[in-house]
Amino acid sequence: MSYIIDGVIEAFKLILSLDKEIYSIVLLSIYVSFASTIISSIIGVPLGLFTGIKEFKGKRLLSKIYYTFMGLPPVVVGLVTVLIISRSGPLGSVGLIYTPTAMIIAQSLLVTPIVTGIIFTNSKDTGREIINICKTLGANKKHTFFKLIKELRTLILVATVTGFGRAISEVGAVMIVGGNIKGHTRVMTTFIAMSNSMGNYDTSIAMGIILLAISFAANSFLYNRTMGDSNGYKIKKY
Amino acid sequence: MDIKLKNIKKAYNNKIVLQVDSLYIKKGKITGILGPNGSGKTTMMKIIGDLIKPDSGRVEYDGKKFETASDRLTYVSHNSYLFNDTVFENIAAPLKFRDMKKEYITKRVEELIDNFQIGYLRYENALTLSGGEKQKVSLARALSFSPEVLLIDEPTSNIDPNFIKLIESTLKKINHDLKTTIVIVTHNTAQSLRLCQEIIFMRDGKVIQHTPTENLINSDDKFIREFIKLN
Repeated sequence: MSYIIDGVIEAFKLILSLDKEIYSIVLLSIYVSFASTIISSIIGVPLGLFTGIKEFKGKRLLSKIYYTFMGLPPVVVGLVTVLIISRSGPLGSVGLIYTPTAMIIAQSLLVTPIVTGIIFTNSKDTGREIINICKTLGANKKHTFFKLIKELRTLILVATVTGFGRAISEVGAVMIVGGNIKGHTRVMTTFIAMSNSMGNYDTSIAMGIILLAISFAANSFLYNRTMGDSNGYKIKKY
Repeated sequence: MDIKLKNIKKAYNNKIVLQVDSLYIKKGKITGILGPNGSGKTTMMKIIGDLIKPDSGRVEYDGKKFETASDRLTYVSHNSYLFNDTVFENIAAPLKFRDMKKEYITKRVEELIDNFQIGYLRYENALTLSGGEKQKVSLARALSFSPEVLLIDEPTSNIDPNFIKLIESTLKKINHDLKTTIVIVTHNTAQSLRLCQEIIFMRDGKVIQHTPTENLINSDDKFIREFIKLN
């Protein structure tokens, strides 16, 4: 039991010591997760909105595909990404393997279905209602689009923050495509996994605390934003 | 603007919910649509408002397609979607869609807020309002751009009796002053008799009578007479 308490004390010392390696790992984690969340949102928000609001043949099948992809195993995504970007893969010549870019690609593949699925599920009814009311009030396509984004802003924010949470806490895929190379592709989650296996509980706990703090900050931002929004967007279960 | 429905048919899950061979809604009149639940009233209104497409047939607006009339016609239901914004901004939205000048928007919105006696709600978020207040805001918003055709589904279902009179007189006034064509779906027979110049009575997805209001009470149809007596 004492090693846990010692670990926590050491963790705080490490955080306060402003250790350069620790903070470079934190910054890389934020950079990779942030970049993949932006890419996923750029793809997932319009895709989820379009397929959610539009009625078309095969929509039920598509929703099943979305939900399946929302639960993709990270190691499988890592493996697929490696097969594509490894030296002998179709994109091998680009030289992406074991780089932060490869990690961003893998995380984007994981997060995009999550963002798309959340937007798809929750925009089906509300989105159609917004479009209809804009139509009855004489809005043109441009006005309708901006109104739709404005009305669904909380949903878009929820999807994006959920995606960021998934990205920053992900370990399997980034381990496979990034390789956990010190000073190059080592991020918080891969660092924790490695330190733990080496018995360095203090550094593992320190990194765990920072990871929790980042997740807490992201969720607090979301909570404050949605509480201020009387729409109080409720995410449907899927 | 007059509205003509020709050979309209709509079915859900192979069940026909609306079948109207021919219907003519006259320009500048207040027309009520009466009928029991499931008689196709709302479906017909939504088809006229181009919110749902019929399986077959067409609707003509002054003899033309919907696109020529889209910004002169509006549809309000008892649970119309309100934007997640203040009451003022909700009522201003159709005017902003039409790129009206700010001074005109303020003047027009304030005028409607006064008419509907909702000044105390001006800066409230519309989503926090009660059902009746939301209905007043929806109606004020629909009237903001003075549409030529106003389609209203249950306009006073959640509204206090003292405000029903206010809304009815507002509808009569815009019909008289602006010659607005108004089509109202209502369960309230007394209201339709007070307000409407013509009545369309529907049953099982079909129009079974289209008559001047004064003739409705003496209808030959036993079902209509019973319906009026009970409502």
